[in-house]
Amino acid sequence: MKRDRWWLCIVPLYAFTLVFVLGPVLYMVAVSFARNTGGYGFQWSFTLDNFRKMRDPVYLQCFQQSLLLALSTTVLNVLIGYPFGYFMARRSPRGKRLLLFLIMIPFWTSSLIRLYGWLILLQARGVLNRFLMWLGMIDTPLKILYTYPAVLIGMVYGLFPFMVLAVYTSVEKMDWTLVEAARDLGASPLRAFLTVTLKLTLPGLMSGVILTFVPSMGLFFIADILGGNKIVLVGSLIQDQMTRGSNQPFAAALALILSVMTTLLLWLYRKVTGTSDLEGMF
Amino acid sequence: MKNRILSLLLCAAALVSLLAGCGSAGAGSANSAAGSAEASSAGNAAAGGSAGSGAAAETQKPGQLVLYTWEDMFPREVLEGFEQRTGTKIVYSNFDYDETMLEKLAAANGGDYDVIIADDYIIEQAVAEGLVGALDKSILTNFGNINPLYQGQFYDPEDLYTVPYGCGIPLIVYDPEQVDIEISGYSDLWDPTLRDAVAITANYRVINGITLLSMGKSMNEEDLDVIAQAGERLLELAPNIRLIQDDNTQNALLNGEAAAAFLYTSQVTQVMAENPELKVVYPREGLGFGIMAGFVPVNAPNAKAANEFLNYLLEPEVSKACFEYIGYVNTNKAADGIVDPALVAPADAPEGEFIMNVSEEANDAYNRNWTAFKAACGQ
Repeated sequence: MKRDRWWLCIVPLYAFTLVFVLGPVLYMVAVSFARNTGGYGFQWSFTLDNFRKMRDPVYLQCFQQSLLLALSTTVLNVLIGYPFGYFMARRSPRGKRLLLFLIMIPFWTSSLIRLYGWLILLQARGVLNRFLMWLGMIDTPLKILYTYPAVLIGMVYGLFPFMVLAVYTSVEKMDWTLVEAARDLGASPLRAFLTVTLKLTLPGLMSGVILTFVPSMGLFFIADILGGNKIVLVGSLIQDQMTRGSNQPFAAALALILSVMTTLLLWLYRKVTGTSDLEGMF
Repeated sequence: MKNRILSLLLCAAALVSLLAGCGSAGAGSANSAAGSAEASSAGNAAAGGSAGSGAAAETQKPGQLVLYTWEDMFPREVLEGFEQRTGTKIVYSNFDYDETMLEKLAAANGGDYDVIIADDYIIEQAVAEGLVGALDKSILTNFGNINPLYQGQFYDPEDLYTVPYGCGIPLIVYDPEQVDIEISGYSDLWDPTLRDAVAITANYRVINGITLLSMGKSMNEEDLDVIAQAGERLLELAPNIRLIQDDNTQNALLNGEAAAAFLYTSQVTQVMAENPELKVVYPREGLGFGIMAGFVPVNAPNAKAANEFLNYLLEPEVSKACFEYIGYVNTNKAADGIVDPALVAPADAPEGEFIMNVSEEANDAYNRNWTAFKAACGQ
């Protein structure tokens, strides 16, 4: 009797989730089938026009662009973040704390402010260009800002900590005696790494991949700010349709397809890598 | 039993703190809004700023004027000047979007607010819905000060309802040191010498519009074939575009990212103040106009004070203070001589055209052009 009522305490949480998470999603799905009437309005009559419209190559390429950017961001983050997390976990406790601290500090500042920092660094008369010109390496400023590489830099920078922290926790709690055993049994350092360390830290890497891939499908303000609005991601398209373009049903349809696409990719990813236990997630 | 009570208490405490958090956050933001625009009645302004219905309850008091517009549209001394002269207290309530304003005004059945300042196209809708009251010209003795260039427009052809409060005219600004050609119109932005050197604002209708103007067409073209042609022409502009951005676009001219830029009026004013060496161009193909105007809702609780306020705004000194503060083109002829010359449109300026609502098909086509153009810029 006493235990039975405990669930009452969780009711507010469930209610909150239902009302503020599931509710908007259902609303979005419903709106995506509604008819646009111009202005900010729409009409509740069933239509598939919003989805048909997406077949236009102009809109399809936004999906392609989003996917490519998310993939390259994730791959770059794996290449930089894994070694970083790995070596971070092998420092002394003091060193670990320091590195962890350094990774966390930027989080105390709004990501938008940090992006403006990149603007100052990369712009034509910015820090980087002045420095390179002072060194005599270039005569005219490099045009980095408002290009694809600038967007990529911003994306990798913004999501880097998620990858590092995921890998770090995984390497940190690994049983090193297993690596020693492998080495004792005659495995080369590389082989020991590939067969033991990598295998054991794979769940961490996997959650790192998900933690970077999923947000990068949706993050569009980085591309807008550092790319000068020239890299059109699905996110910015949705924003355009929601505000100025004033076509809410189309925006809802785009958002729905984006969510479905991301979910499918995640499912595929788990299927292919055969991981069911993602560290710290699910 | 004890445990259960304790846990319920904890839940309740958590809920309360959550709600308290909401409350204090709301008050905080409203206070900052009030601080920037109006100081004398922060409490009232906060109520108005955070919830229109909250303001409604307080508007019935005599001696009050509820002013409803965007945040930060008036210098403090202008509002205080009116309060001191008339003893009427101004309650500054603000909205983010014109559409929000129209919604609230409709919900209040044309009441609650005394003076509203908003954009041209939404005023047209408000008039059509019967939410706007006629001005009292017997109070508005300064009505003749208005520059006729900004009168008789589509939203108020007979000048019965509105007093213009500034005009926005997007213009081209360029750095003659970095540009080899002389820019005199939109078409010059297509010049190959401007490769990767042009910054533009991010309104899809405006950018489609200037492309149409450069083709000798109207900004409000409805013909889908012509819009498609404009789309093709926009793609040819793509190699010249350095960035597309609505906020602080003018900075691109100052930090060396762009040599030429297509800017909103307030941005033009700001960039010219920073670097007077830059050149401003009133494009020869025609101008895009956007007028903000004040009107009195049909059931305004204090219509007399509202007309007095609009009349006050038309005094040359007051106009000067206002326009120099908001940085929009001066619409008060009587202030032309004293206001910052950068805010006065030249006498030989080409005709202006307004962006108006178009059919849904045309709007879709404009949207499509815009997405294709942006993507082409990134290639």
